[in-house]
Amino acid sequence: MRVVVADDAVILREGLARLLREAGFEVAGLAADGSELLEQVERCSPDVAVVDIRMPPTHTDEGLQAAKAIRRSRPGTGILVLSQHVHARYALELLSEGTDGVGYLLKERVSDLAELASSVRRVGEGGSVLDPAVVSQLVNRRRPGGDPLGQLTDRERDVLGLMAEGRSNKAIAERLFVTEHTVEKHVKNIFATLRLPPSPDDHRRVLAVVTFLNAQ
Amino acid sequence: MRRNMNAGLIGLGVLGLLAGAGALWVASTPAIQPSGIPSAPVALLVGWSFIGSGLLSWRARPDNRLGPVMVLSGFAWFASVLQEGHGAVLFTIGQAFQVLYLAGFLYLILSFPSGRLQTVLDRALVITAFALVSVGQLASLLFTDERAICDRCATNLLEVTRNDALANGLLQSQRIAGLVVIVITIGLLAVRLVRASRPQRRAVIPVLLAGIVALAALAVSVTASALGAAGQDIYGRVSGYAFAVVPVAVLFAFLQRQLARGAVAGLVVELGEPSATVGLAEALSRALGDPSLSLRYWFPAESRYVDSDGRPVTLPGPGEGRRSTVVERGGQPIAVLIHDPALEHNAELVDSVCAAAGLTLENERLQAELRARLTELQASRARLVEATEAERRRIERDLHDGTQQRLVSIAMSLGLLESKLPGKPSQAQPIVRETRQALAAALDELRELTQGIHPTILAERGLPVALDELCHRAALPTHLQLDLSCRLPDQVESAAYFVVSEALTNATKHSHGSEVRVKAACAAGLLTIEVADDGIGGAAAGHGTGLRGLTDRVEALGGTLTVSSPPGRGTTLRAEFPCG
Repeated sequence: MRVVVADDAVILREGLARLLREAGFEVAGLAADGSELLEQVERCSPDVAVVDIRMPPTHTDEGLQAAKAIRRSRPGTGILVLSQHVHARYALELLSEGTDGVGYLLKERVSDLAELASSVRRVGEGGSVLDPAVVSQLVNRRRPGGDPLGQLTDRERDVLGLMAEGRSNKAIAERLFVTEHTVEKHVKNIFATLRLPPSPDDHRRVLAVVTFLNAQ
Repeated sequence: MRRNMNAGLIGLGVLGLLAGAGALWVASTPAIQPSGIPSAPVALLVGWSFIGSGLLSWRARPDNRLGPVMVLSGFAWFASVLQEGHGAVLFTIGQAFQVLYLAGFLYLILSFPSGRLQTVLDRALVITAFALVSVGQLASLLFTDERAICDRCATNLLEVTRNDALANGLLQSQRIAGLVVIVITIGLLAVRLVRASRPQRRAVIPVLLAGIVALAALAVSVTASALGAAGQDIYGRVSGYAFAVVPVAVLFAFLQRQLARGAVAGLVVELGEPSATVGLAEALSRALGDPSLSLRYWFPAESRYVDSDGRPVTLPGPGEGRRSTVVERGGQPIAVLIHDPALEHNAELVDSVCAAAGLTLENERLQAELRARLTELQASRARLVEATEAERRRIERDLHDGTQQRLVSIAMSLGLLESKLPGKPSQAQPIVRETRQALAAALDELRELTQGIHPTILAERGLPVALDELCHRAALPTHLQLDLSCRLPDQVESAAYFVVSEALTNATKHSHGSEVRVKAACAAGLLTIEVADDGIGGAAAGHGTGLRGLTDRVEALGGTLTVSSPPGRGTTLRAEFPCG
C-alpha cells in the first residue's frame, strides 16, 4: 500500500515514515506543509495520506484543509489526519466530507505500531477511523434533557463506541471476546433503541452513529 | 500717567471745540462759495465726530493708534474748511489741507480694528493716498492761480507761476489716481466683509459699511466735479454724513469691547454657582462672544494637550483660521483656548476672562488629567491582558513544537522497539539509545520552558541569587553589582528579574557590544535596576513590543522604565520601583 506522509516536524515525518516502512507500507512521498502534500498526492497517487493537522504557514488546521482538498480532487485517496489535540469538531468536519477512507487519530497512537498500521490500512481500504478519545468525548458528552444513551446497556454502549471508531463487526467481536453474531444483535438493538435507520454496511454506519452522537 | 493723559486729551478736546467754532465762523461768513465744500452744519458734524470719537477711543484704547488717527483727521478736516475764509493765509492753508483728512480716513478703515495695516496692499493704498493729498495737492497749487478757482478768492501764496493747463492736468490726475485708490479700497473692504468669520464680521460691519458708503459717495462726487456734472453737492453731503458716522462706529465698537468686560463679572457669577450646569467652555464662549470657542487642557505627564475627556488632541496650526491662547497659572500652562482670530484684537478681555476662570480651569484641567490617566491605565491594562494572551500562545507553541513532538517521537521509537524485540533484539540497541537521547532533549526543553514561565530560582533563593545566575548564563560577559539589603515584594522581584533578563537578551541580540554592566540597588524605599551595554546604541524606546511590555509591567507596580540609547554610546535601561 502506497503512503504519503505530511508533517512539518522532520523528526516526526521521518519517524512516521520509518514506522510505516517497518509495518510494510511503501512510503512514496514526504511533505512539510499543505501545498507540498497536494503536490505529492498528485505526483505519487498514494492509497493513503497520513497528515499532521497543524502545519505552516498558520499552524492551525492546514492539514485538515489539505485533506478536504484531496477529498474533492482525488476522492479515492484515503486520509488519516493526526492531531495532538482531541477536537471532535475537526474530526466531524472531516467525516462530513464523506466517511469512506477517512480517519482522525491522536498523534500519540503511533506508539502502537500494530494499531497504527491497521488504522492506515483501514483508511486505505475505504473504511473510517475515529480516535477512541474523540469517540469517548462524543459518547460521554453531557446532553441536556434526558440522555438517549441511558437506554442502552453497558455492553451496547461499548459496541456503539467501537462502531463510532470505525470498526467492523468482526473487529468488535474480537475486541469484546464475543461472537460476530452477538455483535450483530447488539448493533440491531442499538439502532432500534436510538431510532436510527438500519445500516448494515460497516463503513456507512459510522456517519450515522457519529452524527447521532453529535446531534444529541 | 492716566491723569496726564486725561489732561492731554481734555486739552485736545478744547482745541477741537475751538477749531470747530472757528470753522463754523469761517464757514458761516464765507468769502466764497466754492464747490465741493459741505455746508456749515455738516462740516462741524464731521470734524467734531472725528475729534470727539477719536479722543474717547484714545482714552478707551490707549494702545490703539486709531484714536490719535481720528483726532488728527478731525483737525485736518477743520483745516480744509479754512479755504472758505478771508485772507490769503487761511485760504492757502485751507487749499493745502483740503483733502489731507482722506489719508487718515483711509488708514482708519483699512486698519480697523487693530490700528495696524496688515497687508502690503493696505500699506500701498494708504501711502499712495497720502502722497496724493499732500505732495499731489501742493504740486498742483504751485501752478494754480486763485482766479482759476473763483473770482473773489484770496491769494494763493503757494503759486509760483500760473499755468492753468498744467494745474488742471495735475488736478485731474490726482482725481483719477484718487478714484482708483477709492475703488480698490471699496473692493478690498467688501472682500474682507465677505470672508470674515461671524464674530469678526459682527465686530467690523458698522465701520466698514459706513466707510464703503462714504467712499462710494465721495467717488461719485469727485467724478461729478471732474466731469463738471451736476449733483456733486448732494453726493458731497451724503459722503459727509457717512464720514461723520465712521468715527462714531469705531468708538462704539471700542466701547462695546469695554462693555464686554462686564461679561467677566457675569462669568465669575456663573462659575460661582454651586450647580454648574453649563460647561466651562460654554460659559467662556458666552463671555467672549465666540460660539466656536473650545478648550484644551494641559497634561503635564505627557507634555501635551488633551480634551475634557482626556483624549490627546493637536492644536490648530498657523493658517487654519483659528488662534490659540494659552492660559497659565503660576508659570505653568493649564489650558489653551482655541478661538476665532477676531478675539486677538481684544487680548485684554481674553486675559481678564482667563484670569476670572483660572481656578475653575485648573479644576477642569485636573479632571481632564484624571481622565487622561484613566485612559492610559485602561490601555495599559488591555496591553497587559494582551501580553498575557501572547505569552500563553507562546507557551502553547513551545510545548507543541518542542516537548510534545519529542514525546511523540519517543512513543514512535518505543513502538518500533516493540516490533523489533521479539525477533530482532540486536536491532533494538540503537533504538533504545535514540529514545534515551530524545527523552533527554525533551527534558531539557521542558526545563527551559518552565524556567521562562517563572524562574524557580527566584522563588527559592530571591533576587540577588537569581540575577547572579542570570548574569552567569548571559551570552555577553556581564558584571553584576548588587546592593540589595532590603526585602522586596515578590512581584517587584519578578519584574526586576524580567527587566534584567529582557535587557540582557536585547543586548545580546542588538547591541553588538562586548560587555554588559548590571546594577541593582535598593535605597530609601526605591529599587533601582540598571542594565548598560557598551554597544552601538540607537535603540528606540517604547517601540519594540518587548520594551512596551516591560514598561507596562514596571508601571503596573508604580515604577518607571527609561531607555537611554544615544547612537554609538551604548544602551542603558533603567527601572525604578517603589518597594516597601
